[in-house]
Amino acid sequence: MIEVIGLTKKFKEVTAVDNVSFKVDKGEIVGLLGENGAGKTTTLRMISTMLKPTSGTAKICGLDLVNEPDKVRKKIGILFGGEVGLYDRLTARENIKYFADLSGLSSEEANRNIEFLAEMLDMKEYIDRRVGKFSRGMKQKVAIARSIVHNPDVMLFDEPTIGLDVSSSAIVQDFILDCKKKGRAIIFSSHSMREVERLCDRVVIIHKGRIVYDGKIEDLRREYNGEDLEKVFLRLVGDKDE
Amino acid sequence: MNSLWGIVFKKELKDLFRDRKTVIMSVLLPLVLFPLLFGLIGKGVKSTTEKVAKEVKIAYIGEESSFKNFLSSVPNIKIVETKDYQEEVKKGTIYLAVVVEEDFDEKLSQEKMSDIKIIYDSESTNSQTALDVVKDVINTYKDEVVKGRLEKRGIDVSILSPVDVKNEPVNREKAGGGALMLTMLLPLYLIIYAITGPMAAAVDLGAGEKERGTLEPLLTTQASRMQLLFGKLFAITVMGIIGTTSSLTGLYIAFKYSMDFMGDVGLKISIGSLVLIGVTAIILNMIFAAVELAVSIYARSFKEAQTYLSPVTIIGMIVAYGTYMMDVKSASTMMFNIPLANISLIIKEFIIGVYNPMHIVITFVWAIVYIIAAILFARYMFSREEVVFRT
Repeated sequence: MIEVIGLTKKFKEVTAVDNVSFKVDKGEIVGLLGENGAGKTTTLRMISTMLKPTSGTAKICGLDLVNEPDKVRKKIGILFGGEVGLYDRLTARENIKYFADLSGLSSEEANRNIEFLAEMLDMKEYIDRRVGKFSRGMKQKVAIARSIVHNPDVMLFDEPTIGLDVSSSAIVQDFILDCKKKGRAIIFSSHSMREVERLCDRVVIIHKGRIVYDGKIEDLRREYNGEDLEKVFLRLVGDKDE
Repeated sequence: MNSLWGIVFKKELKDLFRDRKTVIMSVLLPLVLFPLLFGLIGKGVKSTTEKVAKEVKIAYIGEESSFKNFLSSVPNIKIVETKDYQEEVKKGTIYLAVVVEEDFDEKLSQEKMSDIKIIYDSESTNSQTALDVVKDVINTYKDEVVKGRLEKRGIDVSILSPVDVKNEPVNREKAGGGALMLTMLLPLYLIIYAITGPMAAAVDLGAGEKERGTLEPLLTTQASRMQLLFGKLFAITVMGIIGTTSSLTGLYIAFKYSMDFMGDVGLKISIGSLVLIGVTAIILNMIFAAVELAVSIYARSFKEAQTYLSPVTIIGMIVAYGTYMMDVKSASTMMFNIPLANISLIIKEFIIGVYNPMHIVITFVWAIVYIIAAILFARYMFSREEVVFRT
C-alpha cells in the first residue's frame, strides 16, 4: 500500500533523508523510530507531498507521489503532533467541514462523515461550539476527525502524542489501533521505543537520515536476546556515531 | 462558489469576521474615530471661543480718552479695573490690557501719530481670541478717525479704496472649492488606508496560519498552493476595502457634521469619477494585500510579520506624503510612470473631473503590473519549502 523507494531529501549541504526505502502493507502499523532530527518528519512530509523529494519516490496505493501528488493527497490523512492546528474562532464542525470541502468531498458526503465521526469520537455535545475554549483532549478529537474525514487509505502520524497527557494519548492510541482494524496502512513516527513496542507490527529505525534497522519487533528482540528494546535502540543509533 | 479558492475565501472571511479584535480595529474604530476626534476638538474650540467672545475682559491703562469711550461702547467688551495688569494677564483673570500713551486725545486732534500698546499672553488661546476682537475694534476706531479727518477736508472716503478685488474661480461649475482640499487629502488617505486596512488580516492569514500549525494539514488537501493563495488574497483585499470604506465614511461624517466647511463649499463629484476612484481604491488594496501576504508568509510568527510590515507602512507613507502637494495640472505624462505617485495623481484628476485616456491607461497598466508582481512574489514565497516550513 505504501512503498517508499530510495527517498532522499537534501537541504542545501545537509542530507536530511538519505536513500530511504521501506514498505507498509494494508492494516499494518509501521513505527518510524529515531532521535530528534533523524529525518522522521522530513520523510513523512515527503510522503504527504508537502515536500518534494530531491530524488527517489514513493507509491501510495499504486500512485506515484512525484507525478500525481493531487491524487496521492486524496489517499492520505495526517495527524501531526505539537500544536493541534485548529481554527479557534470556528466551531468543531466548521473546522472539520473546511478540510472535508478542501478534500473534494460533496456536501452530503462531508456531513454524513462528520455525523459518523462525532458519534464515534463522542463529540456530539460540543460539535457546534467554537474550539477556542476546548480542552486539549477535545481539541485532539477534533484534529483526529479532521485527519480522517475524507476516509483515507493511508494514515501518517508524526509524534502525535507529543506533549499530551495520559488520557489524550490514550485517545490517539485507540484511534491508531482503530485505523489498523479498518485496514488502513499506517506510519507512526516516534522517538519512544516503548510507544512503538506497544502499537507497531514493524519498526523502521532511522538515524541521521539512513535506515539502520527494518524488521519485526519480535525479530529485533530475538536478535538481541531479549534485551530491553530501549537499550537496543540506543545501541543501534549509538553505533553509527563512531 | 464551489471552487477550492472560493471555499478558502469564504472560510477566511467568516474566520476574520468572528474575530472581535479585527472587526473593532478595522471596521468600527475607523468609522467612529474621526467623527469623535473632530467633534470633540470642534466642540472644545467652539465653546472656549464663544465664552471669550461673549465677554472680553480687558484692562484699560491710561487717561480717559475718546478711544476708551469707543471701547466701552462695544457691547461684548468689559473694561475691568486692575492694579497690576501684567500679573492679571499672566494669571488669565483678564485676557489682555490696552495701554494708551499720554495726551492721546490731544495728539489725535493735532493729527499726530498715537501709540496703543496691547499686553497679551502669547501662550493663552483665550488671550489670542481677545486680541483678535480688540484689534478689530481698534481698526474700526481707526477708520472712524480717518473718516473724520477726510470729511474735515471735504474728501470722499471712497478715495481710500481705489481697487475692489473679487475672486472668481474658473471651474466653479465642475467642482466646488472643496475639490482642492480633496485632491490633496483623498489620495493620501486612500494610500494609507490601503496599507493599514489589509494588514491585520494579512498577518493572521499568513504568519498566523503557520503559528497555529494549520498550514501543514492545509497543504495536504486537494487545494493547490495557488488556490490557497488566491482565497486568502481576496479575503484580505475585502477586509482592506471594508477598512477603506469605513475610514472614508467616518471622515465624511466628521467633515460634514462637525466642521460645516465641506458641505457649504458644495463639493461636486460626478458618479463616473466616484466609480473610477472606487476602482482605483480596490486596485490599491489588492497591491498592498498581496505584498503584505507575501511578507506575512515569509515570517515565522505574528510578531515577526508585524516587525517586517512596519517598513512597508513607512515607505508607503513617505510616497503618499510626497505626492500630497503635487499639482496634478502641471504633472507631465512621465509622472504617471512612477509607482504610487501615478495612482495619487490619477485620483486627483478624477476628483477635478479630468479623464485623460493616456494617463488612465498608463496608470492602470502599471497597476496591473504591480498586482501581478506582488502575486508572483507571494506565490514565490508560498512555493519555497524553506519558507513554508520555517518555524
